[in-house]
Amino acid sequence: MVTSVFAHSLKEALEYRRNPKWIPYCGGTDLMVEGDEGAAYLFVNQVPEMRKILVEDNRLRLGAAVTFTEILNAAEVPQILKEAMGDIAAPAIRNAGSIGGNIGNGSAKADSALVFMVADADLRLASADGERILPIKDFYLGRKHLALKPDELIVEVIMPYKGLENYYYQKVGARDALAISRLSFAGIMELEGDKIKNFATAFGAVADVILRPKEIDAIMIGKTLEEAKALKEEYLKAIDAFIVPIRGRVSVEYRKDVAMNLLKDFLEVKGL
Amino acid sequence: MSNSVKFRLNGAEMTYTENPAMRLLDALREGYLLTGTKCGCKEGECGACSVIVNGQLYNSCLVAMGSLEGAEVMTIEGFSKTERFAVLEKAYQEVSAVQCGFCIPGMVLASECLLASNPHPTEEEIRVGISGNLCRCTGYNSIVAAVGIAAQKGEGLW
Ligand SMILES: Cc1cc2nc3c(=O)[nH]c(=O)nc-3n(C[C@H](O)[C@H](O)[C@H](O)COP(=O)(O)OP(=O)(O)OC[C@H]3O[C@@H](n4cnc5c(N)ncnc54)[C@H](O)[C@@H]3O)c2cc1C
Ligand code: FES
Ligand code: FES
Repeated sequence: MVTSVFAHSLKEALEYRRNPKWIPYCGGTDLMVEGDEGAAYLFVNQVPEMRKILVEDNRLRLGAAVTFTEILNAAEVPQILKEAMGDIAAPAIRNAGSIGGNIGNGSAKADSALVFMVADADLRLASADGERILPIKDFYLGRKHLALKPDELIVEVIMPYKGLENYYYQKVGARDALAISRLSFAGIMELEGDKIKNFATAFGAVADVILRPKEIDAIMIGKTLEEAKALKEEYLKAIDAFIVPIRGRVSVEYRKDVAMNLLKDFLEVKGL
Repeated sequence: MSNSVKFRLNGAEMTYTENPAMRLLDALREGYLLTGTKCGCKEGECGACSVIVNGQLYNSCLVAMGSLEGAEVMTIEGFSKTERFAVLEKAYQEVSAVQCGFCIPGMVLASECLLASNPHPTEEEIRVGISGNLCRCTGYNSIVAAVGIAAQKGEGLW
């Protein structure tokens, strides 16, 4: 009786994935908390195509099985991602936990996914029948509901690696070392001359999925700081209406207040 | 997977043929009878089950056996035969950093992994290095002191 399978290559992994019974396994830090001994895993933790970190065409490509520790140690990785990964749990979790698993668990609390969202990263998804590139924003359809087809795997995250320097990142957690984020926020404001070239925000663990109010953020793009300041009230109102928090252990009002406070702090710190 | 996993355990070649979904923690304790690795939570929260996989600290409760193909696993039993262990043991004794002892195998392996990547850690870096390892007894200060002493006394070993 074959109860789990180990993939040596992407091709092999995708062949196995034709059969939906196999559960993709990267670092196991989410799956093994349940620890179901009857589970049929597809071990992808050593698939070479999922282990790479490289810069190509001004984009950073991170394999799905790359761990948080490897991100922290990679020279190519932008500081915003390193800061978020440095905040994650304890060393043993960082050594095992991968970005593919962080995205694949579908949680709105996923800390690397928050950064990929604010950076408007793309996901490279593959099945035995072909590949597609999907903006990460379109990957999350709803609570634990992903745009991943039953025969697909997340192979890589592809993100810009420049233009993310002027960032803001905050995680408000209940506990320190092992805190799974209660609430997190990331913001980016890229300036070119006196104009805002890119303006992006993302909110973690405030709703069923990570929120990325791209259309609202767009009103700041192309503006000077003065013009953006004049739009601040209108902008904040629009975001306030956009955030519909989930009922969780932390009260709804609290979640929303914290989210708005982090956003306001981001604006202030960046001179708006 | 022809349902077997080849890996090294404390330096010895192993071929594991049981359930690949089993936790490394359970395989160590029940299969290989290496009971120095403790079980405190099975949720990755306490670090009592810490082992070293390919040179890095892992919670063995969160590792499925099938993922270990080709891996090098070291438990406290294997580490206790090293010179570095002797230095850590002495340092822990010197400041009485051991009370009930339940967390200690994990603490010692976390100390080893910290010193291997950072031979001269600051106090803050030591606290971060052992932040995934809970201790109900000591309040951590003596353990932090022990790691500092080991770093000094073991100069050149790490
Ligand atoms: C004590 C503790 C503390 C934690 N702290 C944090 C924290 O602070 N922040 C945080 O964000 N997370 C935290 N986590 C959660 C976890 O560590 C992360 O979500 C991690 O990124 C999961 O990655 P993994 O490789 O271990 O996932 P796995 O457990 O291997 O997989 C997770 C999910 O993703 C799917 N999956 C895996 N690989 C793929 C793939 N290639 N394609 C498609 N689907 C795939 C799996 O089927 C599964 O559903 C913590 C967990 C623990 C136990
Ligand atoms: S038993 Fe593994 S971390 Fe607690
Ligand atoms: S000495 Fe008792 S738990 Fe640490």
